[in-house]
Order: sequence, then C-alpha cells, then structure tokens
Amino acid sequence: MITIQNLHKSFGDLEVLQGIDLQIDPHEVVCVIGPSGSGKSTLLRCVNGLETITSGSIVVDGIDIGASKNNLAAVRREVGMVFQSFNLFPHMTALENVILAPTRVRKLSKSEAVERAEKLLARVGLADKRDSYPAQLSGGQQQRVAIARALAMEPRVMLFDEPTSALDPEIVGEVLDTMRALADEGMTMMVVTHEMGFAREVSDRTVFMDKGQIVEIGAPADLFSRPQHPRTQDFLNKVL
Amino acid sequence: MDAFIEQALGLLGAAGWTLLLCLTSGVAGTAFGFVLGLMQISKNPALRWPAVVYVTVVRGIPVLLLIFFVYFGVPLLLGVNLEPFFTGFVSLALVGAAYTGEIFRGAIQAVPRGQSEAATALGLNAADTMFRVILPQALRIAVPAGTGFLINLVKDSSLIGIIGFVELTRAAKILSNLTLDPLGAFLMAAVIYFFISFAISRVGALLERRLTPQFGARKPRVDDPALTPTGH
Repeated sequence: MITIQNLHKSFGDLEVLQGIDLQIDPHEVVCVIGPSGSGKSTLLRCVNGLETITSGSIVVDGIDIGASKNNLAAVRREVGMVFQSFNLFPHMTALENVILAPTRVRKLSKSEAVERAEKLLARVGLADKRDSYPAQLSGGQQQRVAIARALAMEPRVMLFDEPTSALDPEIVGEVLDTMRALADEGMTMMVVTHEMGFAREVSDRTVFMDKGQIVEIGAPADLFSRPQHPRTQDFLNKVL
Repeated sequence: MDAFIEQALGLLGAAGWTLLLCLTSGVAGTAFGFVLGLMQISKNPALRWPAVVYVTVVRGIPVLLLIFFVYFGVPLLLGVNLEPFFTGFVSLALVGAAYTGEIFRGAIQAVPRGQSEAATALGLNAADTMFRVILPQALRIAVPAGTGFLINLVKDSSLIGIIGFVELTRAAKILSNLTLDPLGAFLMAAVIYFFISFAISRVGALLERRLTPQFGARKPRVDDPALTPTGH
C-alpha cells in the first residue's frame, strides 16, 4: 500500500531522513517509535506530501507522489492524517469540520456528507457533539472528531502523528480505543507514537528510528522483548 | 439658540460628507488592501515585492503629502483635474490599502500553520484552504486592528479640507469665521468625530463577537462537572 524507497529529506544542511526504505502492506498497522528528532514525524509527513522529499520515492496505492502535482493531490485524497495538535477548524462545528472535505473535494451533496458525518461521529462516540465547536470539546473529544474528519474522505491509509501526545493521561485511552477499533476493521495505518503499550499491542510491525534511519523493524513481540540493535535496546530501556 | 441649532445642522451636513468620504475610501482601500495582503504572503516574488514596496513607501509618507501628490500630481500626469472629493477618495483609499494590506497579512499569518496543514492533508485546494479555513479565522483576528484603521481614516479625512473640500473640520473652520467662536465650532466638530469613532468601535466589538461563534453563542458543555446537577 505504501512503498518508500531510499528516501532522503534535508532541512538546509541537516539531513533528517537518511535513506529510508519501508513497505507497508494493505491492512497492516505499522507503529514508528524512536527518540525526539529521530525523523519519525518527518517521515510520516512525507507520505502525504506535507514535506517535500529531497530524493527517493514514495508510492501510495500505486501513485508516485513525487511524479506530478496531480499525483500529490490524488494521494492526499486517499490518505487521512491525524495530528498531534488536532488542528480542528475552530470556526466550524464538529459536523462542519467533518463534512468540509467530502463536499469540497469529493463533491458529495450536503445531505450525503451530513449522513456520512453523523455515522462517523457516532462511531467515535460523539454523535451528541455534532453542533459543538472545538473549543467546547475536551482534547480527547477533539482528537476523535479529527479522526472522524479524516475518515470522512474514506481514505485507504491513515497516518497518525503522535495523536495522543497533547492529551491528558486519563483521556489518552479513549483515543487509543478509537484507533484500535479502526485497526481491527482492517484500516492500513502508520502511527508515530510514544505509546509503547499501544505499539506493542496493536501494531503488526514496529519500526524503531534513530538519527534519520530505520534502525530496526520487526513484529512488536520481537522488537520489544528481544531488540537486536544496541540503540533499540538503549531506547527501550529508557522508555519502558 | 436657533442660531446654535442652525450651526449644528450645518456641521452635521458636513459630517455626512466626511462619512461618505470615509465609507467609499474605506471600502475601496480595504478591497485593495486585501489584495495587497495576499500578494505580500505570496511565494511568487513578482507578486510579493511590489506589494511590500507599496506598503512600506505609502506608510512612510505623511497623509497630507500624499493628498498633495494626488491633487497636484494627477493633473500633471494624466492631464485631468480631479474634484476635491475624488482627490480625497483616491488619497485615503491609497493610504487605507497600505494599512489594511499590512493588517490582512498579519492576520493571515497569525492563523496557526496547523490549520492550513490540516486543510491540505484533507485534499482541499489552495482556494478552499484560504477562503474556507484561513480567512474566516484571519478576519476575526483582523477586526480590532481594522477598527483602529477605520477610526484613523475618519480622523485623517479632516486633512482633505486643506484642498478645499468642505468636510467636517473645514466646515467647523468656516463656521468659526462666521461666529467668531472657534472653540465652540471645533468643540461641536470634535463631539461629532467622537460619536462616529465610538460607533465604529462598537460595531467592531460586535463583529468580533459575531465572528467568534464558539464563544459568542456558547452552549454549556454537557460533561462540564460544574453544570451537572449532583443529586438532590
């Protein structure tokens, strides 16, 4: 579903991604862990073109995102993204947030989009919040609306960029539950996270990144219990 | 007493011209300023630089001199004489564009970057991102500065009297020559200016609230413990 080959990304003189190769299969859940500054968020942001890539290639669902502007737009329609800071549109209600892209990009009629949005809000447990503005919602509720907003485009892939890092510890669970349900339904997911428990339990494969490189990749049972690389061992010792 | 009412009415008529001048030049200046604001944040240097230069230069020139440039310069350049009202309209619109251009630029850039990223990630094109996501938020940010700009415009319009257009300040000057009571005439004018400015700031405050639906039409949060009755 996602094929990343020899991906390099530099900000000025700083090379934050130094030759990433990664293949993600349909319905696979891949969690990316690693220390701050390891390039994991940048990698994620390259997949839907929020960062331009310096060299290498990313192909999503058969579409090479670097080949043309049209391809980039096509990939963005197929890839949903959830941000650390939610980034809900504060001047719109939860429902308006969810229907904006389907009506503007997918050209759904308003009634179709509203019907879809209501189902999605119900699915993330927020049917009664459809007319609330983001400022009236808790962080966990905002993030669930953001997930519903991304799902409203019926993406083939979902990207999560530290979706629980801005949340109070006691409401992290509600967002992780929503993501777990999504994984169970077979969504292809790439998740940058500091939630080791979630990575261990939900991911099919876990990627450990450090200093712009993939250091180790494997089934979570192996990676968390028997890390092969000293840098992985060192990192896991610190966070677990 | 009758004379006083007559004088006040005369000033009110001139205040009407001041309002008309400010309304027309305010609308034209804001429209031009909106374009300048967008140009200033453009990635294309051919759009960005002319706007940056325009804003910097016009903001660096006293309004009075700009009025003279338009009043004496346009006939030289175009060979047509401008009516004083039209001169005032053009001058104030040019000044207003420079100030509102800067206000729009600042307001658009004050909208958090995550907003345009979220819109882009959802597949929205540049126009939808700007008009449906960024601008509605930028407008609210722009209102306080915009209110200040309009109040300044009203006061700057008093300079148009110098080229012979009878707006409020010039009318007060004429009145003082007739009544030989400059203090009274200018006081009346000041009171009228004050009420115009006061009305603008009230409308601005109202607009700011209207553009902030999440605070203006606040509904209680259902899960707010303070609002949940705790037994009987």
